[in-house]
Amino acid sequence: MASEFELSRNITIGQYVPTGSFIHRLDPRIKLLVFTILVLAIALNTSYVGNALGLLLSIYLFWASKIPVSYGLSGIKPAIPFIIILAVLQLIFQGNVFSGGTVFFEYGFILITSESIRLVIVSAVRFVEIILLSSVLTLSTSTTELTHAIQSLLSPLKKIKFPVHELSLIITIAIRFVPTFAIEMEKMMKAQASRGADFGSGEWWRIIQRTKDMLPIIIPLFNIALSRAEDLILAMESRCYTPGNERSAYSVYKALERDYLVLIIGLLLSLLLLFYPFPF
Amino acid sequence: MKGTLTVRNIVIAGVLGAVAILLGVTRLGYIPVPTAAGNATIMHIPAIIGGIMQGPIVGAIVGIIFGVSSFLNATVPLFKDPLVAILPRLFIGVVAWVVYVGIRRKSEYLAIGTAAFLGTLTNTVLVLTMAVVRGYMGAEVAWTVAITSGIPEAIVGTIVTLAVVLSWKQIGKGKKSRISED
Repeated sequence: MASEFELSRNITIGQYVPTGSFIHRLDPRIKLLVFTILVLAIALNTSYVGNALGLLLSIYLFWASKIPVSYGLSGIKPAIPFIIILAVLQLIFQGNVFSGGTVFFEYGFILITSESIRLVIVSAVRFVEIILLSSVLTLSTSTTELTHAIQSLLSPLKKIKFPVHELSLIITIAIRFVPTFAIEMEKMMKAQASRGADFGSGEWWRIIQRTKDMLPIIIPLFNIALSRAEDLILAMESRCYTPGNERSAYSVYKALERDYLVLIIGLLLSLLLLFYPFPF
Repeated sequence: MKGTLTVRNIVIAGVLGAVAILLGVTRLGYIPVPTAAGNATIMHIPAIIGGIMQGPIVGAIVGIIFGVSSFLNATVPLFKDPLVAILPRLFIGVVAWVVYVGIRRKSEYLAIGTAAFLGTLTNTVLVLTMAVVRGYMGAEVAWTVAITSGIPEAIVGTIVTLAVVLSWKQIGKGKKSRISED
């Protein structure tokens, strides 16, 4: 029972496994860039061979970063029922939409073709690949490094007066406050439960009941969040923080040769996944 | 765009982003419903509140944070596609702001309620459209999801947003910083 309220335990943001591997030591800007391109390339690839390549690549990255693959697989486990349900739905209803290829089975509105089978298999594998890739990135890069990377990758946008520094400050504030709010929420849930409140244990089909149960937690959560925001605004203004001013950073990243090499390999792989006409 | 982001905008966007992430990672943002989508989400509510309270830019930023966190935490293959998880979420706060500003003169309550309702529908409709475009579900399935989970979601969203914004307007009086009052 009590374990239901330990929200902070489930929070994996900023979960960082310092193994000091090659992947960990890469320039965070280049790491973020390469991972983003790879994820996009995988999301757009629909061939069997392409996705097999992607799967091999993501497993290789776990090995190279010396992080146990079980960390990545633990993210896939809760998703298995969804993958199966989605696969069945796609198999039954998608035959007409992706009607190319050989027809294997046809009965009423159910139409199973080689194309719809491809869709089912590829979207399941793609999902596993993207989970693995995004966990390698977050497990091997600290949140500070990530925020710096975002800021520096977006910095060309400064030319068109896009508020890059402000955006990265927003992200830092957001990440900083997640654990704080989790602790506040734990307190509120315990307080409500000690008064006999019952949340989330109603039958799963009683949507309105389950929603109502959540209101006594969600509304105070927003109020706490907004009053923390007011405090922070006061604190920042009293220290004369002015948005839009030129600022320097404590740590300055410098990309080395190996970083550029990784960037080139990553770009080539993504181009291969995006444009090479795989036979299967 | 210099000067459009005040200290107040930055902090409120950050804090609401934190709430969106928290609702996602603790699973409190999901209310299980028996449909193909599996869950009705209330994680988009911070984006609506951001749009209503601080304007379209804050709304869009909170939307992006929500999108990225739903992409990173997704257990449904659908949301491991950045085009489905991130892109549609940009518009939630913007739509909420447009609706709120349009109706505000007539009635504050009506404006907040309608903004929340249409903001939630924006999320449902755009995500489902992207899902159909990207081939995760057929149009029939999408319609079923839109009706069975979209409508309860919109009602829940309206109630929660109204409660939060109105209670904040009461509490927030006299506590706000004078400099950033705009």
